[in-house]
Amino acid sequence: MRVIQVQHVSKSFGRLRAVDDLSFEVEEGTCFGLLGPNGAGKTTMMKMIYGRSSRTDHDGGIIEVFGYDPAREELAIKYVSGVVPQENNLDEELNVIQNLMIYSKFYGLPARVARGRIETLLDFLELSEKIRSPIKELSGGMQRRLVIARALLNNPRLLILDEPTTGLDPQVRHLIWDKLRQLRAQRTTILLTTHYMEEAFQICDTVLIMDKGRKILEDNPQRLLKENIETYVLEVPLTNGRPALREADLPQGVRLDRAEAILRFYAQDVDRLKGVADGLAEHPYYLRQTTLEDVFLKATGRDLNEKQ
Amino acid sequence: MKSSNPVAYPSLSRRLYSVWYRHVRVYTKNLLSNGLPPFLEPLLFLAGVGLGLSKYITQSMEGLSYIEFLGTGLLVTAAMFTAAYECTFGTFIRLEFEKVYDGMLAAPITVNDLIIGEIIWAGTKGVFFTFAVLCVLTAFRIVRLPEGLLTPLVGFITGVMFATLSLWVTSFVKTIQHFNFYLTGVLSPMFFFSGVVFPVSNLPSSVRFAAEIMPLTHCVRLARAVCIGQYPPGLLLSLAYAVVFTVLTGWLAIRRLRRRLIR
Repeated sequence: MRVIQVQHVSKSFGRLRAVDDLSFEVEEGTCFGLLGPNGAGKTTMMKMIYGRSSRTDHDGGIIEVFGYDPAREELAIKYVSGVVPQENNLDEELNVIQNLMIYSKFYGLPARVARGRIETLLDFLELSEKIRSPIKELSGGMQRRLVIARALLNNPRLLILDEPTTGLDPQVRHLIWDKLRQLRAQRTTILLTTHYMEEAFQICDTVLIMDKGRKILEDNPQRLLKENIETYVLEVPLTNGRPALREADLPQGVRLDRAEAILRFYAQDVDRLKGVADGLAEHPYYLRQTTLEDVFLKATGRDLNEKQ
Repeated sequence: MKSSNPVAYPSLSRRLYSVWYRHVRVYTKNLLSNGLPPFLEPLLFLAGVGLGLSKYITQSMEGLSYIEFLGTGLLVTAAMFTAAYECTFGTFIRLEFEKVYDGMLAAPITVNDLIIGEIIWAGTKGVFFTFAVLCVLTAFRIVRLPEGLLTPLVGFITGVMFATLSLWVTSFVKTIQHFNFYLTGVLSPMFFFSGVVFPVSNLPSSVRFAAEIMPLTHCVRLARAVCIGQYPPGLLLSLAYAVVFTVLTGWLAIRRLRRRLIR
């Protein structure tokens, strides 16, 4: 079943085109990632899906979530979805259980049902010991997990997360990824935005790379890697002077990408790059497999935009 | 494709209740620091006026002794100020600093639910603050029971009126300091020229006209009528004013805040 359908959606803020003719679909039980630099329009797209942002009317395109249009039926969509906004917005005066109990009222959950569910969710997100802790005493990672628990209160069929792990340490990040994988295994559909390639690679079934409001690439992360970039990259920093290397001398099948302070050689065949590395003599280098980050930088360019 | 059974999200009344409940829970979290001042303030005011000022003011005002006149006015100014603070600073902080609304709007709550819930909550605070003044006035035998028991209802009306007005003001505000203009430029003059401290009937006609436009004037009239148990037909005008004012400013507030919350 298709959970989200987005067709030719655009959104402008004054003269800025935040989302530009974007289309994609999300199937039930899959994890879909919107990937892009800051200012690419990820959050705007996400907010349009749960009715928090309105699409531009005259050429706004179509959005359907579980068959509902968020511009008209936001309540139905939000009732069966859980949303984790970019910023943790918990009630700081209250403690963990109070925050969740108050929020459960928004779904009309009876107190007894809510209490049972809260216990399960705190256990799931490993926060059971903090049930009576004031929000101020929670670390950033705990607050994030609590916001995720809050989004899960009504057993959502769709979980929407805006940069779920930005600013968190690796342990918490892996824990959250693990939980998201478990949810997906239980057929929860997940839509997330991120600018961590690693995150997209780890948990997404489909990744849509966007830049300046437009779709650049969309595919399964493994396929994106395989089809859009060579398997290996040799990075040579230029901080200690330039290596004696002439472009004309490069072996066949090696592509050179010049940046201000680094040279990157890409190739399908690792041996060719080893050959290049041998020719560097004492010059430092780093030979590694390419990642989604390389695809991303290749697709969106290395220049910073005004929001970065 | 739409699922076969429609989604049974909570009804409008349940949604409004849940927003209201959120505010009640956060407010009552600090019961002592939030709940005591509403009683202390009228106590101080009446002690000061009763011990000091009223000795010099012997003339009756609209048939009331000065302490009765002032006391019945304070019933609604308390509601005015609490609703105004709640829907200016309180709303702005929830909107811009704490991002509480972002959290609430992620749940099945619409912007309209959010704002109307906020208005009902400010009305509730009006009830509580008026009730606090009523307790003090009753203890000093300035207001008689059971007539006075209806004043919290006037407190609710006052709270709602100043909630809608303040929310509309808040919809224009970009930095929190701007509220000072509203508080000292609008609410303070209202305190002095709406028949709280002295009757408006003897003011020059131009000032009197301005006083009749101010919402607080009508709240004060309602409160006094309730306290003395006399309901002249002109009171219906004040009641009609309250309804029209609430609907108009409420509509403006929702329209503008919606644009701020759903971009």
